[in-house]
Amino acid sequence: MANRTIPRLLQTPAVVLLLFWMLIPLGMTLFFSFIRYVLNNLRNPHWTSPSIENWRGFGNYQFVWGQDSFWLAMKNSLVIVTSILFLTVILGVLIAVLINRSFKGRGIVRVLLISPFFVMPAVNGVLWINMILDPVLGLQGIAVGAINDLQNAPLVGWFFSLWPTLEPISFRATQTSSIAVIMMVVWQWTPFAILIFMTSLQSEDQQQKEAAVLDGASTWSQFRFLTLPHLGRPIAIVVMIQAIFHLSLYAEIEIVSRGNGNKNLPYYIGELVNNNIGAASAAGIFAVILANIVAIFLLRMVGKTLME
Amino acid sequence: MGRIQLKAVQKKFGDVEVIPPLDLTIEDGEFAVFVGPSGCGKSTLLRMIAGLEELTSGQVEIDGKDMTLAPPSTRGLAMVFQSYALYPHMTVRKNIAFPLRMEKMDPAEIEKRVAVAAKSLNLTDYLDRKPGQLSGGQRQRVAIGRAIVREPSAFLFDEPLSNLDAALRVGMRLEISELHKRLENTMIYVTHDQVEAMTMADKIVVLQAGVIEQVGSPLELYNAPRNKFVGGFIGSPKMNQLEGEAAKKRGCTTIGMRPEHISVSPDSGEFKGTVGVAEQLGSDTFFHVHVEGHEETVTVRQSGQVNYGYGDTIYFTPEEDRVHKFGPDGLRVE
Amino acid sequence: MAIVATQSKLGKIVWPVLAWTVALLFFFPIFWMILTSFKTDADAVKPEFLFRFTPTLENYTNMTDNYDYWRFATNSIITSVSATLFTLFVAVPCAYAMAFNPSRGTKDILMWMLSTKMLPAAAVLYPMIFLTKSLGIYDTKFLIVMVLSLINLPIAIWMLFTYFKDIPKDIIEAGQMDGLTTWGEVKEILVPLAWGGIASTALLIFIFCWNEAYWTVRLTTTEAATLSKLIEGNRAPEGLFFGRLSAVSTAAVGPIIVLGWFSQKQLVQGLTFGAVK
Repeated sequence: MANRTIPRLLQTPAVVLLLFWMLIPLGMTLFFSFIRYVLNNLRNPHWTSPSIENWRGFGNYQFVWGQDSFWLAMKNSLVIVTSILFLTVILGVLIAVLINRSFKGRGIVRVLLISPFFVMPAVNGVLWINMILDPVLGLQGIAVGAINDLQNAPLVGWFFSLWPTLEPISFRATQTSSIAVIMMVVWQWTPFAILIFMTSLQSEDQQQKEAAVLDGASTWSQFRFLTLPHLGRPIAIVVMIQAIFHLSLYAEIEIVSRGNGNKNLPYYIGELVNNNIGAASAAGIFAVILANIVAIFLLRMVGKTLME
Repeated sequence: MGRIQLKAVQKKFGDVEVIPPLDLTIEDGEFAVFVGPSGCGKSTLLRMIAGLEELTSGQVEIDGKDMTLAPPSTRGLAMVFQSYALYPHMTVRKNIAFPLRMEKMDPAEIEKRVAVAAKSLNLTDYLDRKPGQLSGGQRQRVAIGRAIVREPSAFLFDEPLSNLDAALRVGMRLEISELHKRLENTMIYVTHDQVEAMTMADKIVVLQAGVIEQVGSPLELYNAPRNKFVGGFIGSPKMNQLEGEAAKKRGCTTIGMRPEHISVSPDSGEFKGTVGVAEQLGSDTFFHVHVEGHEETVTVRQSGQVNYGYGDTIYFTPEEDRVHKFGPDGLRVE
Repeated sequence: MAIVATQSKLGKIVWPVLAWTVALLFFFPIFWMILTSFKTDADAVKPEFLFRFTPTLENYTNMTDNYDYWRFATNSIITSVSATLFTLFVAVPCAYAMAFNPSRGTKDILMWMLSTKMLPAAAVLYPMIFLTKSLGIYDTKFLIVMVLSLINLPIAIWMLFTYFKDIPKDIIEAGQMDGLTTWGEVKEILVPLAWGGIASTALLIFIFCWNEAYWTVRLTTTEAATLSKLIEGNRAPEGLFFGRLSAVSTAAVGPIIVLGWFSQKQLVQGLTFGAVK
């Protein structure tokens, strides 16, 4: 029957496109990672174009491996991703449970809550780092100024004078830029977690809950032994999807720190690409390995449940 | 015309052989029922006839023409699915007209045929509704209507009544039987319900694990089941099958006694037992009797209302000429 | 009943208030951006004009002069729409084949497709720049459309696969019995039945394309630059242009947020690949 060939034919374009998309650039990266390839080098002009004659073996890998900034970027990548995952899941569960009851204006609450998810990352970065977090002109600066001004207020001023004067924090600095990034991404992705957990909560078995009430379970026990296990699968999915997106986080970091702050792996590679392609490629391969470790781990965890 | 012949038809899913090569002929105009427990391969067999499932090997011939590789729509067959498989986005009218539209038939002719089919199925008032607005029985009739208008050489039914409630099922059963009488078409009907098989079929094909256990008319199967499986599967309530002394006495390994072929007495008989549950139907009474030395209860049917209760001791005796005897291989012995 | 009974009177007031507070907090940055967009650049940074100010539309009317907004917006629209259409064009047949004629390899192919999403973009950044420059397609809309399509293809296929799987196979088979060709199945049954799923996939892919900020920033300079590039390029105004920056940001995200509101429900089913409904 022709039944077999037509489906294959229909899948071919997608498979071929993705195969090219994956293999060609990745193959080139792999090649570049083993050669000396530097865009600006007056002393060794032959290094400025890719050639097998500039073979460097694992030299680029050793170079990258030996750089403190690489390890810092690696560490930052992991810190940023895990913090975001942790915070979004916790906040997501709490808020989802909070609004999973009927009250006035629940529809509007949902709409307000989900909105940040659709803000483009570039706008997210610009909005937070300037209008909100700027230590002087942003809301942070204004709020800190207002609180400090209370010391001069009549009647209650003496009370506030007892407290130390607040210093606004600059989130563009090296130590704090990761926090700013985590903050804005959590703001953007918690809504996603809420939405998914809330949908899942609505399918929770109400009779089971009623049975639990009859069995004398407290609200906390219901949450702990019924709701939380019910959310297991959605939590796994939220973690997986976010990991996919956040491992390649870029726009926010670029906007927040302009390179002065804490770089993550994509940003570190992005900088190397300006000149040292060999090293950038080696770092890229490390990023691929990291992503693969995460991917294998996550797909093991979640993949099977998805296929049912 | 609609003579369907299966020649050494075989089906494997991967390495698992669900249907070992089998031969079967369904004559033109026959109402054939494939019956068997779930997973016996009856639906797969039907789908292979329809062309929805590829054959691993063998041939399907329809009216003498090899149709093994023909796409479903060119085989001249119409199918009624268990889930009805109506197109939910189309009205009843469009659903019924759909196969004709696919044949690029003249719209006026389509209109005429749909009207005739709708009238015969009492669907005229519902033609402009969507399937979602219909009851289960009505949906079933739409599915049949969609099959009828094509004037196929044979109808295939895949457990069409199993989604209906018990009362509707009886009604639809009659309707389908009557449809067969009227159209005189070949029909192949798959079910796990032996009552449907008995009441509707000209020819029953009993399947188990992809193997044909017996082919025959309903009464042939009832009167002379070829083996223990068919004996147990055909007839309701189930045939009692006993091993041991009583079987040995009759020169076989197992005897089969149908509940309706057993007489009961309060004081004497071949078997002695204790009444467990007694089911009073008014017209009949069923006793489930515990017999010493046998794990399963023996079901006994008595016409009318007979008053034995829980714990009563009774004696019963099978009608000797209606006792079925099976050998050690499970096959019938005469 | 039982659940309601356990909710105390206090809870009836506290929980909604808490819920509203959280919701308003989350929405506040967006609100603030919109509010700031109606202030002059000078007013925007003055504490005394936090909430009381004379609203002005000048930031919007000057958007073209300040930022050449429409050029970037046009690029965003053209690339996002084209990429969405192209993605669907490739993904629908693929998902259809996978959902209704799965082979033993289908699951693996799906998983592999998802894993391409995990390939860090940064790892292949230079080869992409190198390749596109040597092919002469760097900074072209064609390139952006292709890249946006490719990065969203796995998600689109997964989402559509999920929706298609919900269509009973019987209906497709009934169609085959009735004489439908493969193309007929897609046109007469699949598309009408999965219309909602296809539309929400399209919507979500469009949103992702619109918001994409890695490749659109790195593979464009002027010709094909999108709104992400525009915003990213003006990321550090040092407080001088909060008003006009808010206006252009609002214009860039406003329509998408509204589109997003409509796709909430489908978003869940789509993004969780049907595992959460």
